[in-house]
Amino acid sequence: MDLLPTEEQDEIINTVRSQLERNFDLHALAELDGANSVVDSTLWKQCAELGWFGLGLPEALGGVGYTLAEEALLFAEIGTHAAPGPFLPTVLAARLAAMVGATDLAAQILAGTQLVALAEPHGDTAAVAGATVSGTFRVTDFGGADLVLVLVGGSAAIVAASDLVAEPLASLDRLVPTAIGTVSQVPALCYQDDASGLQLRATVLIAAELAGIATATAQQSTQYAKDREQFGTPIGSFQAVKHRCADMAVRADAANSLVRYSAIAVLDGLPDAAFHAHAARVVATNAAIENSQINVQNHGGIGFTYEHTAHRFVTRAQVRSRTVGDLRSHLGGLLDQPAAL
Amino acid sequence: MNLDLTAEELAFREEASTWLRENLPTEARPPEGQEMRAFDLAWQRTLFDGGWAGINWPTEYGGRGLTDIQQMIWYEEFAKANPPFTLNNSCTFVGNLHGGPTIIVNGNEEQRSTYLPQILKGEAVWCQGFSEPGSGSDLASLSTKAEIDGDELVVTGQKTWTSYAHVADVQELLVRTDPTAPKHKGITWVVCDMNSPGIEIREIRTMSHVTDFCEVFYDEVRIPMSNVVGGLHNGWRTAMSTLGFERGTAFMADQVELAATVERLIDEAKIRVGPDGKRPAIQDDELARRLSLARAEVAALRAMTITGISRNARTDTPGPEGSIVRLFHGELHQRVYQLALDIIGADALRLTEVDGEGVWTGPYLQSFAYTIGGGTSDIQRNIVGERVLGLPRA
Repeated sequence: MDLLPTEEQDEIINTVRSQLERNFDLHALAELDGANSVVDSTLWKQCAELGWFGLGLPEALGGVGYTLAEEALLFAEIGTHAAPGPFLPTVLAARLAAMVGATDLAAQILAGTQLVALAEPHGDTAAVAGATVSGTFRVTDFGGADLVLVLVGGSAAIVAASDLVAEPLASLDRLVPTAIGTVSQVPALCYQDDASGLQLRATVLIAAELAGIATATAQQSTQYAKDREQFGTPIGSFQAVKHRCADMAVRADAANSLVRYSAIAVLDGLPDAAFHAHAARVVATNAAIENSQINVQNHGGIGFTYEHTAHRFVTRAQVRSRTVGDLRSHLGGLLDQPAAL
Repeated sequence: MNLDLTAEELAFREEASTWLRENLPTEARPPEGQEMRAFDLAWQRTLFDGGWAGINWPTEYGGRGLTDIQQMIWYEEFAKANPPFTLNNSCTFVGNLHGGPTIIVNGNEEQRSTYLPQILKGEAVWCQGFSEPGSGSDLASLSTKAEIDGDELVVTGQKTWTSYAHVADVQELLVRTDPTAPKHKGITWVVCDMNSPGIEIREIRTMSHVTDFCEVFYDEVRIPMSNVVGGLHNGWRTAMSTLGFERGTAFMADQVELAATVERLIDEAKIRVGPDGKRPAIQDDELARRLSLARAEVAALRAMTITGISRNARTDTPGPEGSIVRLFHGELHQRVYQLALDIIGADALRLTEVDGEGVWTGPYLQSFAYTIGGGTSDIQRNIVGERVLGLPRA
């Protein structure tokens, strides 16, 4: 039993981190604010070459051959850097296509040549009935997408983006393009009636991204508390600030520990895997929302500006905490699960 | 990153579970006095005879030399066995989790062979003499003085918040041996025989109606120099290693037990009538949501405990990160019992013992200790802020 990354996993983290630091700088990305698409196709293919989209997919299915544990570490880093882009639907769609034998489709998604948006129910008309998809959806990263991963209830399907009529809306997170899309009875390119396995992975990966947001904001506040001086001393020497930073570190540790635990529980198919996935999602959501909000406060006036990146984490936490379920829905299932002990 | 248990660990779990089924006391723990002491020591002796004392202590000092993971497994099996008492609510706590580990790290061979077997066999009760009326969070300002007189220390002063002093045989005692040195440099960690002439003990009643809490007065108490552990004037460093244990793994049993407590609370919520006077408490939206959150957070606590063990396995001695788990646990423990009072309805008005089957209000009152004892939450936040995050001191 061990919940710290192995040396090999640390190497993966370092590679991911250097790519994100080099190419996903939030100040540089600001020029894409409010755009329909935030994906740079060259960069996206670079991420594909690094193996990000098939990290947890078996080699026999065209993946890199690692597991959900490594995918969770990847998504924690994506959260830490508030990196925009359809990482989640890409990873899930590649897996779905590969699992149902749509090998060519999977290969194109894995290569980064087919871009995937994510569609979730908006209102109560959304449906995946066998191979037929219909209804109204909330779609993220629709601009420039070739495909749309549709998640409804326990089912999943991939449809062509051209089958969707989408109306963009002013998105809360300026780097997560959001639209309301409608589909009327279109055939899916591939689908899974029981996609509960995929949903469970999505739960863990979003929890990981949220835990990453909690980590990043704890670090940002701590660094600022060391650098910023008032009354002739770093503000981190004041208990009011120091204690907020300590509480942020506690929340980040709780979220990251439980996310890692849940990733392995799902990977190993433990009887309490679903419980841990939902629990991780709940704890990571609270950690991300609270830390990102307190991070603004810790920065004072500069934290309230658009130029500073603190608000990026606030809006990303709000968006991701409402992706594939929300706090309420994940809390709701927790009492029905068997005891973890 | 893995959750695998080795064949050895699985066998250990099985062995622990079987032994506990056959040997766990069924009677309640006497709440106070010599009866309580006798009960706690008898249980320690039972553990020793069964091979369950000092699970993660080195074998050369009478322990089993097993891993912290096995220690955690033992706590989990204990919690699952539905015990009539909680493991850490015992006068053997300080010996097993404070004094003993400190002597293992800082003691000499004679001290180890004298004290460690007594602790493991349930032959001696230890207590802690750290806090003073004027030195709480600022522990290093302590003023209980010890004058060096030949091969003896002569101690005069006062300690407080000393749990179980009234039934203890020995005490881990911090005294000022060099009043001229800077405050961290003039302190000595020494083992004090509680039956020495010049010691007076007064019991203090806590808000949870327990009388184990004591203050201890020293009037020219003579302690042999050979009882000094870790070197004269070096007591601060010795004490910090003790606190490292306290903030590291000493509360693992409590952390594991909290998971079982939340499960019991869920069972209570299913059978008790909720706030609307009709449906079970668990069908009340707000209570259900708080229970769900508690369940998620004890799962996080367990994962943090395993993360802490993983960290310790890479560094040998517990680092300041232990304060992160301690902080999270203390506050969560309190939230769980606050929630319990909202679930048990009218029974929230009935005072119970702090420990035993089906008790909630006593543990609720006792829960206030969890953010005070072993360093208040504010001190834990200072430790996290300064020693984990590297923020400057005030």
